[in-house]
Amino acid sequence: MIKTKKVIVVTGAFLISAGIENLVLEISGMLVDQVYDGTEKKLAKKIISRKPEYVIIDPPCVEEILIPLISELNNESDIKVIGLVTPNTIQSVSSHFTFTLNKKESKLHLIEVLQRIVGTEENNQTDNDQVISKRETEILRNLALGLTNQEVADKLFLSVHTVMTHRKKITRKLGIKTVSGLTVYALMNNLVDIREVERTI
Amino acid sequence: MLLEKDMKLADVIHHDYNLVPVINRFGILLGFGDSSIEKICKSKNINVSFFLTILNAFHDPQYLDKRYLQTFSCKLLVDYLRKTHNYYLEQKIPEIECLIGEMGSEMISDSRSHKILQQFFSHYKEELEKHIEREENNVYPYVLELENAIKNETVSESLLTKINNYPIASYEDEHDNVEEKLTDLKNILIKYLSPSLDQKNRFKLLKELNVLEKDLNDHSSIEDFILVPKVELLEKHVMDNLSSDD
Repeated sequence: MIKTKKVIVVTGAFLISAGIENLVLEISGMLVDQVYDGTEKKLAKKIISRKPEYVIIDPPCVEEILIPLISELNNESDIKVIGLVTPNTIQSVSSHFTFTLNKKESKLHLIEVLQRIVGTEENNQTDNDQVISKRETEILRNLALGLTNQEVADKLFLSVHTVMTHRKKITRKLGIKTVSGLTVYALMNNLVDIREVERTI
Repeated sequence: MLLEKDMKLADVIHHDYNLVPVINRFGILLGFGDSSIEKICKSKNINVSFFLTILNAFHDPQYLDKRYLQTFSCKLLVDYLRKTHNYYLEQKIPEIECLIGEMGSEMISDSRSHKILQQFFSHYKEELEKHIEREENNVYPYVLELENAIKNETVSESLLTKINNYPIASYEDEHDNVEEKLTDLKNILIKYLSPSLDQKNRFKLLKELNVLEKDLNDHSSIEDFILVPKVELLEKHVMDNLSSDD
């Protein structure tokens, strides 16, 4: 089965975003989820909350926030950051990107590059089935019972950071983010009893 | 397609049926005849360019032109946003509630899940109501007060306190949960609620959730990209020109 690959584009230029949307259509399962023009507040946070697999950035539109933006995005291990460059882009800008697309290249060439970027990830991905693990189930159960991240961590002798990592994985696998949504899932799968969760649903 | 004032409104609605609730908010009811957008707006006393901008932004979010929309008064924006709230509370939410209720007949073998869904949605409704109430009672009056202060070139002490303590920026990011819960609900319906033989109401529900989701997205982009930046400019203007303390 083809997994969808969400792309977020950061550019204020319509011709560029339209071009990228057109390009991305050529890769199966890939789609542009959102376009930001680079002036949005808390841009990195907004991007991360949409859980894209790829973020394509047009450097001129973010100017001085480029470097903090890239470094925040790079902290998310699931996000790949791709920069739009030209042969004239200065090294101090282009070097921040793990991957780059050359604006001046032909469509065919760009498709090849994009396929290579997407391909490297496909091979690394081992667990494709979206079933949550035993540990994740345990954490999900406790969240449904109304425990906070900290309380779950204390109860299961984990760090809050680990709980949060698990939680992100659960959300990615199930497509459910809010505690009440997770509680509904837990109830429907008999992980908790309705009487236990009156408050969290 | 860019919608323009000399187009016939009927053609526009044929082209994008989703605009029906939007024109409705401006007081235009179906059965509006064969006239152009401009003519209909004039007869209803609607600001044509504002109407077109809102219509275009809804029709294709790429048309949401921030600089241009910011030229409209806050009052126009707030009136429109209030009407969308009204549409959620008076129409969409009751409709969805009703559909979830009707799903009961499709879920006789799994009435427990049905109850859970109902409970989930009733809490969602409460949250949305609270969110709307806060905007209507605090945010919008504040915005209008600011605009009036600039118009009259006087500013009250209490308004200055508000600008200092609760600037518009402190209201941002409020929409997230309301939108996330809707996505969760869709995933539950699509992926996790066990299949029943008859799914007519589940189909309808999904469709209505999509309609609500699109409307909420449009609503929050108008707030985040148009209203908030505009109000920030007003706040700055008041502080720079009207606050006499310094």
